[in-house]
Amino acid sequence: MNSLRAALLALFAASVAMAAVMVALVVSSDHEDAKEVTAVLGPFIGLSFCGTGVFAWMRRPHNRFGALMTAVGFAWFLAGLTEANDPWVYTLGVYLGPLYIVLVGHMLLAFPTGRLETTQARTLIVIGYLDALFVQIPFFLLGGDISSPDDAPRNAWTITENYDGAQVFAAVSQLVAAGLIAWLAVQLLQKRRDASPPQRRAMAPVLWTGLVLSAALAVAVVSQLLGGADPIATSPSFVSLIAFAALPWAFVIGLLRSRYSRAGAVGDLVERLNAQGIEGESLRDALSDALGDRSLALAFWSRGSERYVDAGGQPVELPPATSRSRAVTEIEREAVPVAAIVHDAALLDEPGLVRAAGAAASLALENERLEAELKARVAELQVSRAKVIEVGMAERRALERNLHDGAQQRLVALSLQLGLAKTKLRSDPDVAERILDGARGELASALEELRELARGIHPAILTDRGLGAALDALAGRAPVPVEVETVPDGRMPMPVEAVAYFVVAESLTNVAKYADAEYATVRVLRENGFAVVEIEDNGIGGADPSAGSGLRGLADRLAALDGRLEVDSPLGVGTTVRARIPCA
Amino acid sequence: MSTKVLIVDDHPTFRSTARLLLESEGFDVVGEAPDGVTAIAAAGELHPDLVLLDVNLPDLDGFDVAARITSVLGAPAVVLTSSRDSSDFGPLVHRSGARGFIPKGELSGAALADLIR
Repeated sequence: MNSLRAALLALFAASVAMAAVMVALVVSSDHEDAKEVTAVLGPFIGLSFCGTGVFAWMRRPHNRFGALMTAVGFAWFLAGLTEANDPWVYTLGVYLGPLYIVLVGHMLLAFPTGRLETTQARTLIVIGYLDALFVQIPFFLLGGDISSPDDAPRNAWTITENYDGAQVFAAVSQLVAAGLIAWLAVQLLQKRRDASPPQRRAMAPVLWTGLVLSAALAVAVVSQLLGGADPIATSPSFVSLIAFAALPWAFVIGLLRSRYSRAGAVGDLVERLNAQGIEGESLRDALSDALGDRSLALAFWSRGSERYVDAGGQPVELPPATSRSRAVTEIEREAVPVAAIVHDAALLDEPGLVRAAGAAASLALENERLEAELKARVAELQVSRAKVIEVGMAERRALERNLHDGAQQRLVALSLQLGLAKTKLRSDPDVAERILDGARGELASALEELRELARGIHPAILTDRGLGAALDALAGRAPVPVEVETVPDGRMPMPVEAVAYFVVAESLTNVAKYADAEYATVRVLRENGFAVVEIEDNGIGGADPSAGSGLRGLADRLAALDGRLEVDSPLGVGTTVRARIPCA
Repeated sequence: MSTKVLIVDDHPTFRSTARLLLESEGFDVVGEAPDGVTAIAAAGELHPDLVLLDVNLPDLDGFDVAARITSVLGAPAVVLTSSRDSSDFGPLVHRSGARGFIPKGELSGAALADLIR
């Protein structure tokens, strides 16, 4: 037995002792008319609060609701001191009498978390305690009349007899109490309105009993105000007494009802799932019905893209773990994520419930997941198809630009130079010769540019001799020393070889342009159904794959083959570009 | 007095070859410009008789540059040129206010003189 449990049991024992004291006081009381009823009902009410309070406290040690409920029980026993014959103890009982009513208000407003969530609620309760404990003091000191019924003891705290003055304080105290009770009723209704449906169902018994209690108290206080006899509601009306006695049991009923109905709902869910092949919206609806959460949403784990998607395959963001209103319960099958149930945070009050429902529906969820994954895949393919067309168009534009700016300009210049040379041929043969030399240089440059362009479109050596020869040629032309370490011997499918070649070509262009490297290494390996292409340099690193259009274009080309591009480029260490292309 | 020419083209090879060609045929090349903005400024400052203007410039479109240059009183004649063919441009050449078009490969003093006569 842990120390909290021991302390709580001791507390309950103390409440039993106080109940016994109360019985003794009632039995020996000179001024109690209904001894039998009071001797039974009084201790019963106090013990109901203390018992359920201690039970709730034990079950949820971090929730202050149980403590509040226990406090109401003890305050009730203190109010029982009005049964005493000794004037001093009797006066103390009258003074502490209203305290349990304020504590009940506090408990109702703090239900079910044990915390007063709003500033309004906190203000109301602070005013309540001040009214009950301080505003009354002058009433007692000025000799206020507390002898009701008439044979009850006199006010033992009288310092000076000023009956009218005392009545003013009693009236103020009662007016404030009436206002507070009305305010409490409004707050309770607001609390119900702001709650989510599952919260509302769990709160219902306590909130309704609380509302009846505040209505009955309001009637009692108002009638006392009009009658002007007693200070504050020391002798509650019959209706409010019944509502008050019912409160702890309403709490227990709410607890049992939500538990029982939820356990039953999971059973119903299993039956519904077995009876019919539930799919799509109806699976969500079945879970939503079972858990009583209309806001429930499902997200499915896409193994392909390693993220959650909705039933239509579109990526979704789950609410953050810090969210107070929404919670996520992830469902796994054989240690592999299947789906996430996004639900009202109130369902977490019943630990394991959502998980149990999710486990019951896990097979249906897995089917649903497969369908969502398929849709995600189709969406991905649509995007990558559009990208391939885009890349194709961009390449044609670049090709046109290159032809225009490169070879075409050189041929234009060549034409002009030949025309010029012709005009000088007879008049100035030396100048004509120089012009013709320039023209030959221009022609050589044009040829080189055309060759480069043709290689960029598709290198003939790749078609004729395969990837190894093509990469060797590429390495030979690179301005930075490049070692081609390993390339698989056999031929791979043409699209794979082509993409592998262009990954190396683009990467080596980047090495020459930006990396400031001394050398680079190229490796092509076949691993588990993939062709892995690696280009590593010892340059300055810090490459950003999203910055350059070249690498992005490559990633799109790779995506068309279901391949992936990774760039690892720590500052000062060098860059490794790695492409994985599916290749059976 | 020889015709004063401003050559506008973003390719230096073309500018230098065209200068050589035109000078050898008696033109006076008073300036060169690599883009549209510089060309408009140079046309105002150098007062050439003729602007040989490439259609594809890095900043402005050659047709717009032609329209801007020819819109002022006493503006120089503008002749557009390109490594593309005039049929690629349709009626744009005439709408721009230019005197005409010469494909780059066919540029000569005689062809220019024909257009501005």
